[in-house]
Amino acid sequence: MFNSQKVSATRLTIAIIVTLFMLFPLYWLLITSFKPAEELKSAIPTFWPKHFTFQNYVDAFNKAPFLRYGMNTLIQTVGVVTLQVNIALLAAYAFAKGNFFGRDKLFLAVIAAMVVPEQVVFVPVYVMMANVGWLNTFWALIVPNAVSAYGIFLLRQAFKSINNDVIEAAKVDGAHRLHILYRILTPMALPTLVTVLIFKIIGSWNSYFWPLVMTNTDNMRVLTVGIAMLKSSIAGNEMLNFQLIMAGSVLVAAPIVILFIFTQKHILTAMSNSTFK
Amino acid sequence: MSSEIKLTKHVPTKKRSLLNIKRRESTKDFLFALPALLLLAIFTYYPLVNSVFISFTDWNLIRPIKKFIGLTNYQNLLVDPEFYHVLKVTFLYTIIEVSLELLLGLGLAVLFNVTARSFGVMRSILFMPHYISMVVVSMVFVWIYNTDYGILNTVLKLFGASPVSWLNDPSTALWAVIIVAVWKGVGFTSLIFISGLRGIPIEYYEAASIDGAGKWKQFLKITLPLLSPTTLFLVITSFISSMQVFQSVNIMTNGGPLKATKVMVYWIYDLTFVQFKAGKGSALVIIFFFIIVLLTAIQFAISKKKVHYEG
Repeated sequence: MFNSQKVSATRLTIAIIVTLFMLFPLYWLLITSFKPAEELKSAIPTFWPKHFTFQNYVDAFNKAPFLRYGMNTLIQTVGVVTLQVNIALLAAYAFAKGNFFGRDKLFLAVIAAMVVPEQVVFVPVYVMMANVGWLNTFWALIVPNAVSAYGIFLLRQAFKSINNDVIEAAKVDGAHRLHILYRILTPMALPTLVTVLIFKIIGSWNSYFWPLVMTNTDNMRVLTVGIAMLKSSIAGNEMLNFQLIMAGSVLVAAPIVILFIFTQKHILTAMSNSTFK
Repeated sequence: MSSEIKLTKHVPTKKRSLLNIKRRESTKDFLFALPALLLLAIFTYYPLVNSVFISFTDWNLIRPIKKFIGLTNYQNLLVDPEFYHVLKVTFLYTIIEVSLELLLGLGLAVLFNVTARSFGVMRSILFMPHYISMVVVSMVFVWIYNTDYGILNTVLKLFGASPVSWLNDPSTALWAVIIVAVWKGVGFTSLIFISGLRGIPIEYYEAASIDGAGKWKQFLKITLPLLSPTTLFLVITSFISSMQVFQSVNIMTNGGPLKATKVMVYWIYDLTFVQFKAGKGSALVIIFFFIIVLLTAIQFAISKKKVHYEG
């Protein structure tokens, strides 16, 4: 495992061809966003723009309030992830180290919630949001998604593996339980916390169904919904404007790709540790 | 903590004070779990029960009064040919998507299961689309599939074939949507397969090659059987997530052409927010949820069994 294997040239060649083939759609996305409109219609496709341009990004910003969309996505993501992580830390501590009536049954109820897809609960939640006047506000985007059962599950596992002596020692020193949780347990469970953080950031940034249902004004639209709206508004016209849609799509995907590149090692380790255990 | 210590000084018997402390401690523990429990109760469990109730009513989502009509929504669904069409499309989509993703994922796993650094980089590239928004991915493929200027048809024309309206032709649209999901998910699937492959002891292969078994025979007799827990895990988790397909259909085809890609969640959305038949939509939600629960139960039973014979 530790020293690299010798790889045959054939295997390497096949692997590279497969990788390039799989990478092509993303390359095509990026490269189209830098092409002028006329170049999209040329009979022979250009694999590098003949006239490299940033104009599509400017046009996309003029066609739709992308700055607003981006801010909305950012606020939603920060809100959801902050709440999810803190609520999960508290609950994970209670379920791992606490002792109260019905603890394990209640934990089961938390886990069971993972089975319920958002498409099953969205109508009653929509009505609830309408009744309290939260439709088209960040409340509707953030509060119903504030709990991550998956996050509670992972963090509880991590806390359970920490020896009770650590907690007892802190208690003897007179440490408050919030102090124990945030200053002692959380640093010890940091790899798990980072995993939860990464997955939740990606999930919230990419969410589509929930914001589509809960908002309907241009001011409250998030990036994913904004792009979809841009496509349907352009599709009405005769003009082919894929360069604009691709520019907008790059804006949605770029932060996640960057996050992925910087955290992929962590993601891979987390995945191989958590799939079957 | 300090207040509790003070308190013990005033209470006469030691036993009682310990009990008090315990009760206080457990209340505090419970308070830590309370935010999560309350939010789940309000935003998951109550809506679940409420969905069942709405499915028994004739309701247009806006009107304050919900007329109770019993099982009528379910009866109407069961005699509606569209219901069976949607079920068929959803299961066709799911079965084909999961089969392709697993077959290709296994192939990629075998090809990329090399510890060389360059292969690690390539694995990451294959895996990356899993984390990119389905909205973005759908947009890219709408452009690739474009009838007049899409790169796919341009390549076909080079080989002398006539262009195809991939997303506007009922015979190709479902396949076109499936391919997108396979492209997005296959890297993830192959990584799970690779971690399964690495769990197989190398001694088995050594013993087999001493006995003269070729590579192909080793694959059939050692790799596939020992990989079956991984495969089962992937079949069921992919099945559950494929059943929930919505974004790609909503963006690429809107359920068309001629309902060729009309899957369950798309119909749920359409019934509720476009046709305003929230009662009928909720009945469909409940049926959909039952299928998901059933699949999860099967997964649970299988993973329990697996643990059983391993231990």
